[in-house]
Amino acid sequence: MDVLRLQNLQKSFGSVRALKNASLTLREGEVVALLGDNGAGKSTLIKAISGVFPIDRGDIFVRGEKVSIRSTRDAMDLGIETIHQDTSLAPDLSIARNLFLGREPVNFGWLGVFAPLDLAKLRKAASELLKRVGISKKLDADALVSTLSGGERQSIAISRAMQFAAKVIILDEPTNNLGVEETHGVLRFVKEVREAGHSVLLITHNIHHVFQVADRIIVMRRGEIVAEQIVADTDLLTVESIITGADMSALLKEARAK
Amino acid sequence: MVQTVMTIAAEDEMPVGKRRSSLIRSPQFSSLVILIVLLAVFAIADRNFLSPLNISNMMAFLPELGIIALGMTLLLTAGEFDLSVGAVFGLAPVVVMLLVQNGGWDIGAALLAGLVLCIAIGAINGLIVTKIGISSFLVTLSMLLVVRGAALYITQGFPLKSWDQPGFFVTLLAGSFNVGSFRFYTSLWWFIGLSLFAIYILRYAKLGNWISAIGSNRNAAVARGVPADAVKIWLFIATSVLAGLAGMISAFRISAASPVAGTGYELEVIAMVVVGGTALTGGRGTILGTIVGALMLRAIRNGIVLIGVPGLAYNIFVGLIILAMLILHALLQKNAARS
Repeated sequence: MDVLRLQNLQKSFGSVRALKNASLTLREGEVVALLGDNGAGKSTLIKAISGVFPIDRGDIFVRGEKVSIRSTRDAMDLGIETIHQDTSLAPDLSIARNLFLGREPVNFGWLGVFAPLDLAKLRKAASELLKRVGISKKLDADALVSTLSGGERQSIAISRAMQFAAKVIILDEPTNNLGVEETHGVLRFVKEVREAGHSVLLITHNIHHVFQVADRIIVMRRGEIVAEQIVADTDLLTVESIITGADMSALLKEARAK
Repeated sequence: MVQTVMTIAAEDEMPVGKRRSSLIRSPQFSSLVILIVLLAVFAIADRNFLSPLNISNMMAFLPELGIIALGMTLLLTAGEFDLSVGAVFGLAPVVVMLLVQNGGWDIGAALLAGLVLCIAIGAINGLIVTKIGISSFLVTLSMLLVVRGAALYITQGFPLKSWDQPGFFVTLLAGSFNVGSFRFYTSLWWFIGLSLFAIYILRYAKLGNWISAIGSNRNAAVARGVPADAVKIWLFIATSVLAGLAGMISAFRISAASPVAGTGYELEVIAMVVVGGTALTGGRGTILGTIVGALMLRAIRNGIVLIGVPGLAYNIFVGLIILAMLILHALLQKNAARS
């Protein structure tokens, strides 16, 4: 089942054509890595899907239905959650409050924005969530996000996306600025997300990470999708040469021959 | 593949005792300790400091600035501030009294007009800040000049006699009552009531969660569907209305509406708020801290005069004490981040 299908997406900024006819498909329970050099159009593509700006031309289908995404709220309502590098959490709020930001459980809902938070429910749901995602042992739902490490923050952001039963979770450079162990933690977490039935679109610079978690690789260059590879059927060198446009394996053979 | 041990969790576990010490290390707590020390010093230095008359005097002034400080705390927590509050404090009663005295309006209708005026000023501030994207410093600084200038122009610079006939509105805003030998004004009830409401909003209501999130990381809040602009606009309106309310309370209490009333209040109020521990950069706000800060600044201003600091040197001390408080908060913050 195709969870997300993009067909001929186009987006220009002035005379710069950031996206030219980008098409891709994301299936249920699949991790797809989106690779490409800086300026290849990766972030334009994910911003278009997550509703940061509208596309100029092209169609987006969610579970086979054509949709229009005009705002981040639209994307969220369609089950598309995007986790940006550092912008996903409010550091001065507790983990529990962050997890439910914008969708707070309240008592006396008729009071609107003045309604009191259901703090007991908030804390209970947050602890359950932390436990379910395997990071409950040492994290307190009341701890401020500013006291957490980068990896912990990523995990909290990802678990928040899972909690709202997102169909598609877009991870934008989730392992940037993380230490080795934290990176492994986040990658393991991505696998758990897949096992829980969510589809993941992973944007990263690090090809090694891709080979650890992804099922498929999509490579972009200059606003276009230039290749698609099944991870099980390819290798690092091949993918690297596609990204840079140079034939690395040929170069390597040449070097060996000498 | 390398063994993928789950090492996302923090290296060191948080001991149970840490939670208690985090309360003690919280900014509002250190402010409270310093307030108590200051009160003790003033009380020892001058007996009259704790006399019923002096306490009554302090309590008469306190609510007027304190009420504005409540609005300012919420606004600062959302990452914005308002420099026009002192001017609005002056303009609102001037407009109300002009409508009554020169326009022949009923006092109730004039007060309503004053309220609408404050809402309009706050809305304009908020709309320009959020929709055009100019910093609140610049927008509200300009608004300060416009509003203060308007107050001076429409009165030609002369103070107006305020409403001095007893009646419902005067009792409501500036009535007084005696408790033993202390004399309190109804404005104290306003301050207490509004403080409780503000505490509720910031700590327990959904709105408070949004306010803190917007000030802490606006993009994150917006990405979760929090209407950040609308929240900010309403906070600007609330702050303006509270400034106007405080202005009316003051005008009724002293039976005069001066176009220069409230000059410099914007800085005094911001000082109260940050001395209490609210971060100027947004995200971290405390109403309890603001109440402590309001008490502290009033006590300092009052106590310094009583212990005989020369009148002209008085601002030096106020400034130094504020600076010392801010340094203390910064050090505590740094310490907390390190541990």
